[in-house]
Amino acid sequence: MNSTVAFAPALRELPALLRGELEATTPWLDRWQRARLGVHVVVILAGAGLFGAAIGCWRAPLAAFYTALKLPLIIMLTTLGNALLNAMLAPLLGANLSPRQTLLTILLSFTLASAILGSLSPLLFFVVWNTPPLAAPGAGAGAGYSFLLVAQTAMIALAGVVANLRLMQMLQRLSGSRAVARRVMLAWLAGNLLLGSQLAWNLRPFVGSPGLPVEFLRANAFQGNFFEALLRSMRELAGP
Amino acid sequence: MHNPNDTSPATSGASLPGAPSGDSLPGSEPSERAAIPSLTSAVDAMLRQPQRVLNLLSDARPGPLIARLLMSSVLCSLIYGVVVGTFSGGAQLWAAPVKIAAGLVLSALICLPSLYIFACLSGAQARPAQVWGLVAGLLTLMNILLIGFAPVAWVFSQSTESVALMGALHLLFWAVATAFGLKFLCAGFSHLNARSESGWKVWVVIFVMVTLQMTTALRPLIGTSPHFLPPEKKFFLVHWRECLSQ
Repeated sequence: MNSTVAFAPALRELPALLRGELEATTPWLDRWQRARLGVHVVVILAGAGLFGAAIGCWRAPLAAFYTALKLPLIIMLTTLGNALLNAMLAPLLGANLSPRQTLLTILLSFTLASAILGSLSPLLFFVVWNTPPLAAPGAGAGAGYSFLLVAQTAMIALAGVVANLRLMQMLQRLSGSRAVARRVMLAWLAGNLLLGSQLAWNLRPFVGSPGLPVEFLRANAFQGNFFEALLRSMRELAGP
Repeated sequence: MHNPNDTSPATSGASLPGAPSGDSLPGSEPSERAAIPSLTSAVDAMLRQPQRVLNLLSDARPGPLIARLLMSSVLCSLIYGVVVGTFSGGAQLWAAPVKIAAGLVLSALICLPSLYIFACLSGAQARPAQVWGLVAGLLTLMNILLIGFAPVAWVFSQSTESVALMGALHLLFWAVATAFGLKFLCAGFSHLNARSESGWKVWVVIFVMVTLQMTTALRPLIGTSPHFLPPEKKFFLVHWRECLSQ
């Protein structure tokens, strides 16, 4: 493996990750390669950023810009914030991975998810173009919001499922055991979900209410947490 | 790594007319790699020798072929659009062809990035230019077939005043044309050595939804309106329901 691979060749090798060619992609984890890291970061910034812009543009152009920054930020902060925990969990659960391999494996799966999200962003822009504006009077905006939410969820779910399937394949190859790969992946998923959901809560709003000004962070961004809000909503649904 | 000239037999998926059988490998005969020099030969190749088109799209420089396919496709959609416009006449004679041609190209552009990603996820050894070529072939085949339906559509458009009936008829023609176009695309996926068809199937749903929504986003294609583009945004099923209830 060439340790001094340049940015352009590393970018051209990216389809191997999409195709799930483990023979080609597993050696990427063997050492730090600045250009390859750069490719992953660029794909995450561009792919998740474009998808974020499509989410935010329903509200306002400024909201699109903010969401284009926030979505890649959540991915990068989740990857880095859980790097230590994930590096500890892998050997504890039977996969003898180094911290570098752990971090790069997770980065690869987020790169894949971001590439899928980026490729679906023209579709989301099209959906937004066909949805009544957020501030439109009548029931149109409510129905539009529901449709947009379903479309976004389906696209994110598709990207997440494919990325995790590839992550599972890579872990199986690295650990040599399907059971170990499943355990490690579920542990990483749980940790990333915990941190990722809280970061998403802190960095809200992503679309925002039409009655409130567009802002990067809410004034109460660091008050409360995602799970408290979820519990409160469930109690409200259950009634007094 | 993938050899662009590799024309190993398709492992699965649709087989195409014009594909050789027996011992010879697809693309090994000179006629199946002969250049396509004009718009008419591009149209002819799409109908009679789609395997030749797939072989040429795998070459190092498929740009001129893709350009010819796109030009044929736009030309055919403009002609079909004029036939669609004859139902209402007036401004629709130019508005309908412009909207149909623009709508198809826009739909392809919206769906193109996801097709490339899905092709790679399916294990296909695809370059972006090849995927663009497959979409150009899909559009060309769709629009050639629509031209074939054009005389029937014209006869009906002169015989009825029902927008709903004409809409249903055009949708039927579009569905048949799309089915043949997607068959070509499926064969293209196999040609690129895709391991599974699941990515292609997901993309087909996306493409069909986008093109159907495009007909509503660019309405009216058949009836008349004081606006070139609609001021109100609607989901295509809601629009169809309203048309049927009129």
